[in-house]
Amino acid sequence: MKVLTANSLTTGEVVFWDRGRWALDFAQGERFESDELAAAALAAAEAQATVVVAAYLIDVEETGGHWVPVAYRERLRALGPSNHPQHGKQADGDADVAALTAAAFAARSTGRVKLIKR
Amino acid sequence: MYRYDAYDKAMLTDRSNEFRHQVARRLAGEITEDQFKPLRLMNGLYLQLHAYMLRIAIPYGTLSTRQLRRLAWVAKTYDKGYGHFTTRTNLQLHWIKLRDAPDIMDALAEVDLHGIQTSGNVIRNVTADPYAGATADEVDDPRVWAEVIRQWSTVHPEFSYLPRKFKIAVTASAKDRTAARSYDIGLQLRRGRDGVLGFEVMVGGGQGRTPYLAKTIREHLPVGRLLSYLEAIIRVYNRKSRRDNIHKQRIKILVNTLGAEEFARQVDAEWAKIDGTQVDLPDVELAHIRAAFQRAAFETLPPTSKAFEAAKAADPGFARFARHNVHPHKAPGYAIVNISLKAPGQTPGDASSEQMEAIADLADRYAQGEVRVNYTQNLVLAHVKLDDVPAVYEGLKAQGLATANIDLVSDIIACPGLDYCSLANARAIPVAQAIAQRFADPERAEAIGELKVKISGCINACGHHHLGNIGILGVDKKGEEFYQISLGGSGDNDASLAEILGPAVHFSRTPEAIEALVDAYLKHRSEGERFLDTYRRIGAQPFKEAVYAEAD
Repeated sequence: MKVLTANSLTTGEVVFWDRGRWALDFAQGERFESDELAAAALAAAEAQATVVVAAYLIDVEETGGHWVPVAYRERLRALGPSNHPQHGKQADGDADVAALTAAAFAARSTGRVKLIKR
Repeated sequence: MYRYDAYDKAMLTDRSNEFRHQVARRLAGEITEDQFKPLRLMNGLYLQLHAYMLRIAIPYGTLSTRQLRRLAWVAKTYDKGYGHFTTRTNLQLHWIKLRDAPDIMDALAEVDLHGIQTSGNVIRNVTADPYAGATADEVDDPRVWAEVIRQWSTVHPEFSYLPRKFKIAVTASAKDRTAARSYDIGLQLRRGRDGVLGFEVMVGGGQGRTPYLAKTIREHLPVGRLLSYLEAIIRVYNRKSRRDNIHKQRIKILVNTLGAEEFARQVDAEWAKIDGTQVDLPDVELAHIRAAFQRAAFETLPPTSKAFEAAKAADPGFARFARHNVHPHKAPGYAIVNISLKAPGQTPGDASSEQMEAIADLADRYAQGEVRVNYTQNLVLAHVKLDDVPAVYEGLKAQGLATANIDLVSDIIACPGLDYCSLANARAIPVAQAIAQRFADPERAEAIGELKVKISGCINACGHHHLGNIGILGVDKKGEEFYQISLGGSGDNDASLAEILGPAVHFSRTPEAIEALVDAYLKHRSEGERFLDTYRRIGAQPFKEAVYAEAD
């Protein structure tokens, strides 16, 4: 499953493709099951040269009933910087933000101190 | 300090107008992003993760209070009310909108500030000793020479499209406070036996993917020949560097491929072809620049201050501040005061607009209206009367800026990392915050002593991890943040590159790994040893044992 993202040209803000429009919230982003539809949306976005910049597709996955980006970097883009929780999209603090935050900071491994063989 | 003359101002106004026009054409669709991107980068405007980022040059780290107040105003008006001081002594604003950028450039140009040559393959903002003009151990004011280089290198037509970016540091003190050996060119000003000023010229340092310390190619360059010699170096680099491979385009690769001796020979051959009278700065121009850095004589004061001593005796917090943040000044009765931007839990290098304004007020009142930026992401008030240090301390304390931790374990360098930077692989700021919190107890940090921790969120090493006594490099392992720990680096006179300790550690375990390293140092240290000394004496093994488990 894929979502199309970009930055707004005039503001630089992270935006997500929503059926021909651009949404500010990741949760509103259209999810593409087919690569062809995703590629068509990407081509449409790239034609909007005075609206967005640096459009690209990201992989998303479902965890706990919420869709979240697979890549850690994209979760941070969908949220905002972790050192300033009041800045960026995370400032809303709604359920989708909570899901993104949980996914972003839920490490799959438990770390390696004292676990690595010398 | 130097103030822009009519030429500087005209150049800046032209550039600002040109940029406004370029932005208008981009927004109107008259030029493509591919055409626009190099133009905005030439003015320091990047597109990062959440917004545009503007990198504002602070030449040799010196700001007037008028400039600092303007930076505070821009941050408040067009950003989220804070700025980030970087390891290149610049200021970065992380939430800039393209549509505001032309107005911001105008507002900056009014106070002689801009983002020119803070990006791109050009000679970048020149770094100088943050204690310039104030420390007793300098042979000259290095900012005079940094300003000479700034004027010469700004929009230099031959050097506007170098193979890669190019960074120069100038220091004039026995103690290097610029990390000069990590620069493309490091210039160390010294007096020869005959008393004549000259530069030791070090070339080919740099961090990143292939770290090198710069090698000396000339022991004593007469100061009057500086510009022609720099031209010869950069001309050889411009001609010979590998433009075909992005990982081999810095001068450090060329110097280490040719060898320092052969590189020096080629530079000398090129230098012999240059007509110095066309390039080297005329004495009258030098005198003009030098005069700009001359200041009123310091008052004649007793070397000790009753008010200062009384405050130390009365307030242990102030006494600690005096021990760690106050440095001797060349003039009796004065001091250099360091302002830590590393309060435990804060983002290293960040200052709010309110803090910037408060620092500007203190500098106007007590520090001759001047503020310095140190590459360690701290600020400096260079000329404070000892009598006034207690009042400065109280003023800083009211703004949460009186943390007494200069060069201690909680005075951590960290790049913006994955929280902001589109190049990063992992976050740097939260790691710095978590480590600083562990050592937030000032007595404990003081007992540990000098320990320089430096964190980068990617191999480009903006956080100087190669030069950390403890260097930490963020890496992405299958979408998770891991941190490679290195030990033994130094950016000081005893410069060395840190060596990797072992396998990378997970984000969640990195602070405890650092604590284990500190505990190992405390266990093994001899009287008077710093962390770096102990590491150099006993080697990596005891530290490995502290962090990693025994093999079965």
